[in-house]
Amino acid sequence: MAASPEQPAHATAGRGTRRGATPWTRRRRVGYAFVAPVFLFLCAVVVFPLLHAFWTSLHRVRGLASTFVGAQNYVRVLTDDAFWHSLAVSLEFTGTCVALHMTIGLGLALLLDQLRFARTALRIAFLTPWMVAPAIGATIWLWMLEPQFGVVNYLLQAAGVIAAPLAWLGVPSLAFASVVAVDVWRGTPFVMLLMLAGLQTIPREQYEAAAIDGASAGQRFRYVTLPNLRYLLVVASTLDVINTIRHYDTIGVMTAGGPAGATEVLPVLLFNTAFRGNRFGEAAAIGVLLMLIVLVFAIFHIRFTRADLENAR
Amino acid sequence: MRTFARHIAMLVTTVGGCIGAVMAAAQQPIVLQWQTANLTESQYEPVWKATIAEFEAANPGIKVEPVLVARKDHWTKFVAAAQAKKAPCIVSVDLATAAYNGYLLPLDKYWQAEPAEFRRAWNPDLLSASKWQGQLYGLPIWGGIYAEIYNRDMVAKAGLDERKPPKTWDEYLAWAKKLTAGDHWATTVLGGKTDTTTRVLLMWIWSNGGEAFNADMTEATFAKNPKSLEAIKFYLGLSTKQNVAAPAPTTTNYLEQTNLYAQEKIASMRNAYWAIAKVDGDNPAIKGKSFVAPGPANIDNAPTLAVVTASSIASSCPNPDAAWKFIRFDAGKKWAVQRAKVANWMPMRNDLADEPEIKADPLLLQFVRIGQNARSYPLPSPIWAEIAANDIVDAVQRALLAPDKTDEIFRDLDARLTKKLRGV
Amino acid sequence: MKARRGYDRARWALTIAALLLVAFPFYWMINTSLKPASEIFLSPPTFVSAHWSLDAYATVLTKRPVGRYFVNSLVVALGTTLISVTLAALAAYGFTRFFPRGATPFIVFLLFTKMLPETLLIVPYFELMSDLGLLNTYAALILAYSSFALPFAVWMLIGFFRSIPRDIDEAAMIDGASYLQAFCRVILPLARPGLVAVALFTFLIAWNSYLWALVLTTDSSMYVLSVGVANMVGEYRVQWNELMAAAVIAALPVMVLYSLLERHLVDAITSGAVKG
Repeated sequence: MAASPEQPAHATAGRGTRRGATPWTRRRRVGYAFVAPVFLFLCAVVVFPLLHAFWTSLHRVRGLASTFVGAQNYVRVLTDDAFWHSLAVSLEFTGTCVALHMTIGLGLALLLDQLRFARTALRIAFLTPWMVAPAIGATIWLWMLEPQFGVVNYLLQAAGVIAAPLAWLGVPSLAFASVVAVDVWRGTPFVMLLMLAGLQTIPREQYEAAAIDGASAGQRFRYVTLPNLRYLLVVASTLDVINTIRHYDTIGVMTAGGPAGATEVLPVLLFNTAFRGNRFGEAAAIGVLLMLIVLVFAIFHIRFTRADLENAR
Repeated sequence: MRTFARHIAMLVTTVGGCIGAVMAAAQQPIVLQWQTANLTESQYEPVWKATIAEFEAANPGIKVEPVLVARKDHWTKFVAAAQAKKAPCIVSVDLATAAYNGYLLPLDKYWQAEPAEFRRAWNPDLLSASKWQGQLYGLPIWGGIYAEIYNRDMVAKAGLDERKPPKTWDEYLAWAKKLTAGDHWATTVLGGKTDTTTRVLLMWIWSNGGEAFNADMTEATFAKNPKSLEAIKFYLGLSTKQNVAAPAPTTTNYLEQTNLYAQEKIASMRNAYWAIAKVDGDNPAIKGKSFVAPGPANIDNAPTLAVVTASSIASSCPNPDAAWKFIRFDAGKKWAVQRAKVANWMPMRNDLADEPEIKADPLLLQFVRIGQNARSYPLPSPIWAEIAANDIVDAVQRALLAPDKTDEIFRDLDARLTKKLRGV
Repeated sequence: MKARRGYDRARWALTIAALLLVAFPFYWMINTSLKPASEIFLSPPTFVSAHWSLDAYATVLTKRPVGRYFVNSLVVALGTTLISVTLAALAAYGFTRFFPRGATPFIVFLLFTKMLPETLLIVPYFELMSDLGLLNTYAALILAYSSFALPFAVWMLIGFFRSIPRDIDEAAMIDGASYLQAFCRVILPLARPGLVAVALFTFLIAWNSYLWALVLTTDSSMYVLSVGVANMVGEYRVQWNELMAAAVIAALPVMVLYSLLERHLVDAITSGAVKG
């Protein structure tokens, strides 16, 4: 049997013959055995519902009765202003949040990296927002941002920053800023963790070499730190975008898409369409569209940064 | 001989097994799941626990299993289960929407089988609120009648007479201006993303003689009917123009409104009797300080709003007979009185006027009186859940944020709702 | 030298400022949970109270079966961790040793499975579990959460296993071990930091997840903590101090676990995902 193009050359040399007549099929079969459990599991638990969702998107669902309508749901969704508005809000929200996650996360990692004192304690302290369920974190913030009884307004007024209590979730611009702030609070720790790990793998010699060459701190950052972190930055930002664009809990708990749709990101629109509007077919269509958007993004992002998922640098 | 013995043994075991299985099945209690958003309300807990205990004692072989779920997730959970045909047997949900989607069982045959004295306790118009396309889908168990609730201390401090509450809009505005001062306001305008926003808006519209929809719910007339539009402008203007309402209306729901009232930051609120139990629980110092009057109106006999909660049976329930038994039990006089006393929930039966606990509660009697002229809620449209909590609320929020565009906003709402209603 | 010290001080100042912003909500959560009900709505709000007490915690633990919810959460989270780590380790090993070029498309496939929003998957998943008779069981939740955790787990472990040279397996197998034995006895121990990291991450996902548990469990004795806490938010009343007490109880285990194992987490990511 001809050697499979998948198997790199060195793995074939010698060993097969040593174990006595081991054809590729046997090695391959063992490989399949290792990999099969995950595939089967995912097929059952993810692929089936996914196909079901796609199938639903082609039907008009009225409770327990559904009729096949082809692409009609997609037409309805794509010609509805609410969808495009929601898409815009989603893109704005995701873009802002991810940008802030990455910059603040990297910044915090740089800060913490150099510290010697209480390093572990600080790291854990900064990780805590990530360890709390998003719904619970959002509830705490909801309470703190309450206009009349919340502590945020009290502190800001006491410090003289604002004159009268602000309706943090009641005015479109403030509501958007508030949910972004809460999402930054929630999502930055994870990025910080990845960046911290990355910073620790950068060989000291590179910094020393740069210092010897007379590079300033800024130049060292640009020419030593960033290139080393490039792979990790791509990984972190891709995961972050995918997670943020489908995130429901924070906005769902804090504003449910209000006021006047200012924070209605696509997952919220989907949820409202499915469970308030009972339009499961349309909701499924929105979900599939959302998934396609993310897929397209992922492809472009990885191509654009030309980051090899297989090899760093 | 041995084969014969073997055959006999097999026969005996098979028959024995069958009998055992049948007996086991017969002995297995019927388990009814019961889901209503209110099971997690702390004031109701002792009542429903007692209801279940007594029912199970009187009906061995039937067990009632409460499904506890947060209010905001109640519908989600129900729909997910109903779609998989595994919904809880006894539910209280948005009737028209659930019936339209095929999630509920028509109850006519159970209803007709009840003795006349039982059926007499429900008024026909009340029952019609629980009907969809002519069939009965739920038995009204309790409800809420909306009225204007005032804080008598704050009213007295403003120099107003509690025996002469405002009857017209102008009188109300005059009161409101006096009740607004440095750190407190007269009332709130509800603009949060729940259907309580729609409830209060509807009442104001009706109090001006306007209508929000046409008779058969195929057209929306928020802007089309000039009286409706006038009412909307006046009500929302309490916040945007007159400044007599607490700030941040777009995030004010029932919870925020009752918090403000309990902490005496607002002097009045448009709410139902249950709100008084709630604020008394939040702030015991406010107990006994509330008095009630019908909401102000510009026409005679303006109707108020009565929310009706009915118990229904899921269409996928394998034991509807047992479910009906429980519903009937729960609808009995004893529990209606308990709910009224402990949780301040209005009973739907009309034969309780002579019950001592009811007679002893002057506030309850007032609500009952105000409720003589009430229109039931939710409105009978299969898409009501969405309209009330999404579209109408959106319009209210937009109008609160951009009051100059109110006309345009509600004209848009009319067009959008009419399209949805016709597309049903 | 002075510039250095000034630089350090600025660093510290920034760190402390950031720390305050990050930790304040937790301080407020604990503060609220210790307050008596009458103080919750005081304005101005109290930051430290003479009346702090553990009453809210006592109420929450006795009135609501928070202990039971805690156990359920624990079982589900541990079960998820076990399954995810096992499946991910097997798969990562399989890919790095047998199908190296297949790793990237597989990772893309995993990412793809993550892209569909949760809300959409709930109803078909509920039907599936209902048909299998798995409603109200730990199994349904464990299966669901494992599917969320697998993508990142496999990604990280692939990176990790790649950094373990093949010669090690081959050395083990020369001594007559089978692939599986080499995997279990030699490779896994070497990969321990990565496994610990994946385990922590998976535990977190399972512990904090809410929407699925909400839909898949109807029996309140099967509720997990996140659902139990959410049930305390009634539209008619929210007892903030009790709610915050329950939230603290829900957050503690994860924080304790992470404090104990944090070292492994950073080590693992360092040698695993970073090098690719």
